[in-house]
Amino acid sequence: MSDTRLVDILLVEDNLDDLDMTLRALRKANLTNHVQIARDGVEALEYLFCEGPHTARIVANCPKLVLLDLKLPKVDGLEVLKRIKGDPRTKSLPVVVLTSSKEQRDVVESYQLGVNSYIVKPVNFEAFAKAVGDLGLYWLLLNQPLGFRLDPA
Amino acid sequence: MRPDQQLKSSLKEIDDLKAALDEHAIVAITDPQGKIGYVNDKFCAISRYAREELLGQDHRIINSGHHPKEFIRDLWTTIARGKVWRGEIKNRAKDGTFYWVDTTIVPFLHDDGKPRQYVAIRADITERKLAEESLRLSTKEVLDLKAALDEHSIVVITDPQGKITFVNDKFCAISQYTRDELLGQDHRIINSGHHSKAFIRDLWTTISHGKVWHGEIKNKAKDGSFYWVDTTIVPFLDEQGKPRQYVAIRTDITERKQAEVELSRLAVLVKSSDDAIVGKTLAGIVATWNPGAEKIFGYAAAEAVGRPALMLYPPEGEMEEARILAQIARGESVQHFETVRVRKDGKRIDVSVTLSPITAGDGQIIGAVMIARDITERKRAEQVIHQLNTTLEYRVVERTAQLEAANRELEAFSYSVSHDLRAPLRAVNGLAGIVLEDFGAQLPEEGRRYLQRIRDSGDRMGELIDDLLEFARLSRLPLNRRTVDMAQLVQNVLGDLRPSHEGRPIEFRIDALPACNGDAALLKQVWVNLLSNALKYSRGRTPAAIEIGFRDEAGEPIYFVRDNGTGFDMKYAHKLFGVFQRLHRAEDFEGTGVGLAIVRRIVQRHGGRVWAVAEENRGATFYFTPAGKTTS
Repeated sequence: MSDTRLVDILLVEDNLDDLDMTLRALRKANLTNHVQIARDGVEALEYLFCEGPHTARIVANCPKLVLLDLKLPKVDGLEVLKRIKGDPRTKSLPVVVLTSSKEQRDVVESYQLGVNSYIVKPVNFEAFAKAVGDLGLYWLLLNQPLGFRLDPA
Repeated sequence: MRPDQQLKSSLKEIDDLKAALDEHAIVAITDPQGKIGYVNDKFCAISRYAREELLGQDHRIINSGHHPKEFIRDLWTTIARGKVWRGEIKNRAKDGTFYWVDTTIVPFLHDDGKPRQYVAIRADITERKLAEESLRLSTKEVLDLKAALDEHSIVVITDPQGKITFVNDKFCAISQYTRDELLGQDHRIINSGHHSKAFIRDLWTTISHGKVWHGEIKNKAKDGSFYWVDTTIVPFLDEQGKPRQYVAIRTDITERKQAEVELSRLAVLVKSSDDAIVGKTLAGIVATWNPGAEKIFGYAAAEAVGRPALMLYPPEGEMEEARILAQIARGESVQHFETVRVRKDGKRIDVSVTLSPITAGDGQIIGAVMIARDITERKRAEQVIHQLNTTLEYRVVERTAQLEAANRELEAFSYSVSHDLRAPLRAVNGLAGIVLEDFGAQLPEEGRRYLQRIRDSGDRMGELIDDLLEFARLSRLPLNRRTVDMAQLVQNVLGDLRPSHEGRPIEFRIDALPACNGDAALLKQVWVNLLSNALKYSRGRTPAAIEIGFRDEAGEPIYFVRDNGTGFDMKYAHKLFGVFQRLHRAEDFEGTGVGLAIVRRIVQRHGGRVWAVAEENRGATFYFTPAGKTTS
């Protein structure tokens, strides 16, 4: 794994179909240069906090955006979100929940945990592709990030 | 005639007169002192004395002692003064019997006017006197009897035609008429109308034949009240044996009659009562036993009467009976206490018992009447109810838990559907879309069309899932009731829906819509769904006409949405509100068939109802009542 390279997007997605379609949508929007993929919550956390296979990485070099599915094996998306927003090192990292669920409790809890955006994946292919492309454009190109990395205390 | 001849003739005449006198009268002569100087034969005969026994004797020998002193003094004063005395005297004969004589005493005087002797001439009037006495006595007796009768009875006398000729005070008192009002009136004035014609006919036939009639009659007093009299009518007959008058003697038996009626009423009550009514003596012996008692305790009256009431008690009840009898003896009653008794067949029954002392006319307690009601059924029912209540509470807890579990499961199910069911659909739609996009040019036209249909199906399934989840969500959501401004709500909804019918010619008619009590968010969904439907199904009309109205039917607020659209056949109306039920083809009108199901679910959760009236191609009207009072 290219542990040390800088990535723009951490895509946390367990469903292969969704993964393919998301990547395709990002590619169509020319946003796939630096995408790191995690297939479950544990992988996502190990990458972000430089554990397991990612110990060579440094936390400060975090991605510009996390696209987070909620229903994940092992550790679910909300837990991942909680860890990101609960850690001063990753707290300002923009996290967009990209999920199938319209359930009110998921939406409410996500926002309470500090999610930056909550997107429901449309069933319709065109709508899905547009949604992914738009959010990528917004967070990576239009949004002005904090501008500096918070170092661990 | 010569003087001597004349004298002789005179003497002879005197002798003749004397003889005639002696023949006719009782004659005695006394001296002024009353000593008897002469008596004739009739005197001797009536006084039963011999002449020798009388002559020279004081006249008082025949005194009866009957007359008062004043009477005797008057006699002597009269004759001593030389005047004739006349009167009736009772004398006593030698044998002690009395006789009455009509007496004239003539004093014979000296030249100086002093009585020389007294000549008493008497006629025997004993018989007359006795007759008089007996008449006087019998008259008095009759009067006494009459007084006694008047005192005791109601008496009326009528003539043969029934006209009243006499009434006594008691008759006036009971009939409340004065004597003047009654005399001369027909006796029918007091008829009550109670008796049959046959009864009256029998009475008249009897008395007009000279026979005594006896019976009980109900009469009517002047004030309209009724009274009963025990009546004896005695016809008084004339010489020809025809009734001359009728004497009716009566006794007031109104109280007795009333008591009889009361008694028979009570008897019926006792007899027809389902309760056991049992009379018992102070010793606890059964004296009376009604059919209710037979039914409840199983003993026939003949079996129970004369036996101790203790037979009805369970073995442990001996003290209870003793206590009850003691209470009764003190004159206390025992009200409605619930206890246990034993039937003849040994079965124990629950009874509610009331006991009251029975007093004789003089106030002495002579026994008790026990009224017992079989409450076994009631007791059993009470127990069942108690049990039911207990199980019900248990069941409610159980069901609530089940319901909560079901709700949780449903929620988990919805959650899972929300997450997992859509992902494969997205893959179906998305991957088909990718094939079309990336390899479409290499596919024949037909292949592309089929791929497009796969994508459409995926889209449609997505909508179905979304609607179903919405339906489930609205069913679970707690109802947040408050006053909802329906007019404002409708305006908001119409505003939201405007983009969907931009450019279409639509005539809206909106009534005044009063506020109602309900959940604003849910009621908004009702309006959204009903108005969306109205807009959708009136799509083919130019112009479309949509009416939003309200009416109050017997206090029930009814809101409605009417359109002039495609309508539907009323024979499918029952399917209208079911989930996924559609009355139109998807090619004609898009939709998932969940909208009206959601409407019905929301209205039902408010406690109201929803229904539709339509005609094919003539439009439809949907009515709903969000239960709860309208608020102004």
